[in-house]
Amino acid sequence: MRIKGKSLRHALVLLLLLSGPALAFELDDLQDRLNQTEALKGRFEQQRYLADLDTRLKSTGHFLYERDARMVWVLETPIADRLVFTAENAPDDADRDSAAGAGNDRQRQQVGTLLLQLLQGDWQGLQERFTLDVTGTDDAWQVTLEPKAKALRQRFTRIELKGADYLDDVALHAANEDVLRVRFFDQQPFDPAATEAVDGTSR
Amino acid sequence: MAPVAEPQSKRTATLLRLFAWLWALVLLGCVLGLAWLVRDGLPVDTRLTAMLPEDHQSPLIEQANVQLGRGFEDRFVLLLSSPNLKADTQALARALGDAGKHEGQDTPLLAKIDWRDTDLIDSDPRQALGRYRYRLLTPELQQIIDQDGGESLIEPALRNLFSLTGQPDPVADPFGLLARWIDARDESPVQARNGLLTVTLQGSPHALLIGDLAGSPYDIGAQQAMTRTLKDFEQDHPQVTLLRSGLIFHAAAGARQAQREITTIGLGAFIGLVTILLLVFRSPRVLAQMMLPLASGLLLALPVTLLLFGQLHLMTLAFGASLIGIAIDYALHLQCDRAVHGRDFRLGRLLPGLTLGLVSSLLAYLAQTLTPMPGLRQMAAFAALGLLGAWLSVVLWLPRMRLPSPAATRRLAEGLWRWTTPRRGLTPSIALVGLLICSAVIGWQLTSDDSLRLLNPSPETLLDQERQVQQALGSDTGNRYLLVTATDEAALLSRLATLGDTLGDWIDEGLPLRITNLADSVPPPSVQQESLARVKRLYGQPLEALVQQAGLDDKVVERARTRLEGAPVLDVTTWLDSPLGNSQRRLWLGEPESEPEAQESVRVAAALLVQFTGEDGQASALEQRLTALAGHDDDIIYVNRVARIGELLGQLRKNIVWWVAAAVVALSLLLIWRYGRDTWRVLTPPLGALLGTLTLFALIGIPLNVFSQLGLLLVLGIGLDAGIFSVEHGRRASTWLAISLSTLTSLLAFGLLTFSATPALHYLGLSCLIGLAMVWCLVPWVRPNREHF
Repeated sequence: MRIKGKSLRHALVLLLLLSGPALAFELDDLQDRLNQTEALKGRFEQQRYLADLDTRLKSTGHFLYERDARMVWVLETPIADRLVFTAENAPDDADRDSAAGAGNDRQRQQVGTLLLQLLQGDWQGLQERFTLDVTGTDDAWQVTLEPKAKALRQRFTRIELKGADYLDDVALHAANEDVLRVRFFDQQPFDPAATEAVDGTSR
Repeated sequence: MAPVAEPQSKRTATLLRLFAWLWALVLLGCVLGLAWLVRDGLPVDTRLTAMLPEDHQSPLIEQANVQLGRGFEDRFVLLLSSPNLKADTQALARALGDAGKHEGQDTPLLAKIDWRDTDLIDSDPRQALGRYRYRLLTPELQQIIDQDGGESLIEPALRNLFSLTGQPDPVADPFGLLARWIDARDESPVQARNGLLTVTLQGSPHALLIGDLAGSPYDIGAQQAMTRTLKDFEQDHPQVTLLRSGLIFHAAAGARQAQREITTIGLGAFIGLVTILLLVFRSPRVLAQMMLPLASGLLLALPVTLLLFGQLHLMTLAFGASLIGIAIDYALHLQCDRAVHGRDFRLGRLLPGLTLGLVSSLLAYLAQTLTPMPGLRQMAAFAALGLLGAWLSVVLWLPRMRLPSPAATRRLAEGLWRWTTPRRGLTPSIALVGLLICSAVIGWQLTSDDSLRLLNPSPETLLDQERQVQQALGSDTGNRYLLVTATDEAALLSRLATLGDTLGDWIDEGLPLRITNLADSVPPPSVQQESLARVKRLYGQPLEALVQQAGLDDKVVERARTRLEGAPVLDVTTWLDSPLGNSQRRLWLGEPESEPEAQESVRVAAALLVQFTGEDGQASALEQRLTALAGHDDDIIYVNRVARIGELLGQLRKNIVWWVAAAVVALSLLLIWRYGRDTWRVLTPPLGALLGTLTLFALIGIPLNVFSQLGLLLVLGIGLDAGIFSVEHGRRASTWLAISLSTLTSLLAFGLLTFSATPALHYLGLSCLIGLAMVWCLVPWVRPNREHF
């Protein structure tokens, strides 16, 4: 594996400096790490659990993320859908027929902002709305976010993030026990300037 | 005057001394009473709206006005734009939140401030409306289902199931009907952006801060704290521009201006007064004696007005300063007579003139207490009391005080007399011709203006900011509305829906309108029934196709269909109780509070807000169309609140004319009884000045308004004083000096108000300035050739 050697070295350092507080994995560390990624692309698998029907709706697709700029979210199966969230957080709905796709603009914006914040580890922004709890280590960290506002808590109870170098797994637990889980894989950084034409605007 | 028999004079003197002591006791009581009343500070009311008449004509309209205006008073909105939006907004929110907390006050300025994107999230509206969703279809959805049965709704529904941002609920609402309905209700231009609430104004994002005041917007402490906080913030953040909207800013601007003018204009008048009196009488002691009646007038007026009204309006205080001008008349006449005639002075000779002067002024003021404007009533009561107090001091105290009679005063009086006495007098026929010409010009040319602008002292920049904020937020202050009544809720909703359709057609024609209609949110029961039928159609084949394509269990179809059974009809109460409907509470008048016997058929009423978004010039065409629309139907009344207040001001103005005309007629009878054929000489200065001022207004094109008319009322009062004294003691230089001083001091006190930036005071001052000057010019021409008695 590409990062195995690095992990071993980390483990050695950890053993050497085995003193509690110094080891604590801090949000700042995590933010630094996630901020190192200028742009990222990869695939995702999305699973929506509907508690009422005890049913799982699965879908897959690919995504493309440029820090402080935008996020392109392309659903491939079972239906095709493309969402673009920009950092100015106005979703670009060029692909949508407005009459049939109307509804929930505001909601979509909020989800988009949240997703961008999660991906780039904007803890400062997130801390305004959530209490954050970080556990794990450098290589297997977990962050749990719980909404502070009562109004938000009525909609979802918590968000769980897992990751290592990048964010790998997001689970959003809704108040009605539905769960939206997104697993990211095949993630790799890229140079946004070079790849612009490949995915960003080709569709 | 015939010499009075000795014993009688002695008895009168004793009686007068007794009254003088009694008056001193009364004033002492006033001092104590005042001290007790203002032990917690002077209760001052700075609201200009307190000047407004109450609308007693229609209880239902009044109720609607109160309800539509509620909630605006304590709230304010700030729009902030800055290159560093987030940090600056945070800083401002913090500064406002902290305002009033230090500085030794334990009450904060604000009860609440919303500025974070989470601040405005209510509890989920879907919970409250979930059961009703099958009867609520947006017009767009109705159209789609009518066209293809809902086939084209399958794809978006699928997307909602799988999309990252979807919130699917395949059993309760597979097609997301409620989400669309709620979205269509939500017309707010407020967007969440970067943790802030923002609106877009002229293409750039502005952060939105909505504050609720902890106290009243008229509280001067709150106004100062707010002004200081924003000023400090703007100084520390020069890159920031702030747009303000809210009553507190206007109230603060009004209060600041009034205070500034009281100090500049009031002080200017006072200094001018003192200078003139010192020049004429050459004695600081005389000056002190002149001030004594004024002080005692104020001492009587302050506690009694407070006792009668509970608090003092700032306008009353401003007017109180002006009271100086007229109350000094009595003292002037007395002093001039004493200064010129020295030991020959007798009070008895002056008493009829003084009394008639008081009576005429009191009549003029008491006419104002009959108006329905609380602030004006207070001013009139304050002025009348002040005059009475001053008069009592002049009559009871001043004659007992010794006084130098300098030769300078006598020389001045004689010089003035020589210099200003015309060789010939005016004849009644010339006066009559003048009267006819003036009346013709007035009747032909004079216009009037009763618009509410006169009451609004807000600076143009603030009004402009207010407009921009209202525009960005698309908020409607409920100025224009259609008041709709019906026998029951269903009928009312149908009527509202029909009206909404008509107005919608107007909008399609290109009329710049925005309407807020309750029937858009709560469709009439018949429409809800049709919607349910459409949803049943949608839940046929399209639902099956959706479930199949999504790969969901077939049972979902059955479960979804059972939900349609027994779907309740949304009623107004349920809607208004829901988080989304809360903001429309002000539209619903429910069962009006009006007396039941008046309109038996009216059971429910609601307001349909009509906001005009175009240029001011087009508004009158809209007015006409709306009036015509309401005219077709007895159950619809069109109300324009601003225009209505203007109408009330106009009525008030006309009422004043009649009351004053009646007062003048009554007074004329009194004058004829005393002056007989010389009555026209008494009436010419006041009435001539009145007509002259109006003629001038007509020729220059200044419209008459209620405030210039109030000014003319003062001209009438002072002019009558002048007319009475000039006829009483027509050939005395001292009287002419007193009249001249009286008009000059009144000119200082009232005429200076011409320079006020408050339109109301400006017009009052302007008519006084012109009118009083005319009074002074007219008096020499109508002097009788002999002493009256």
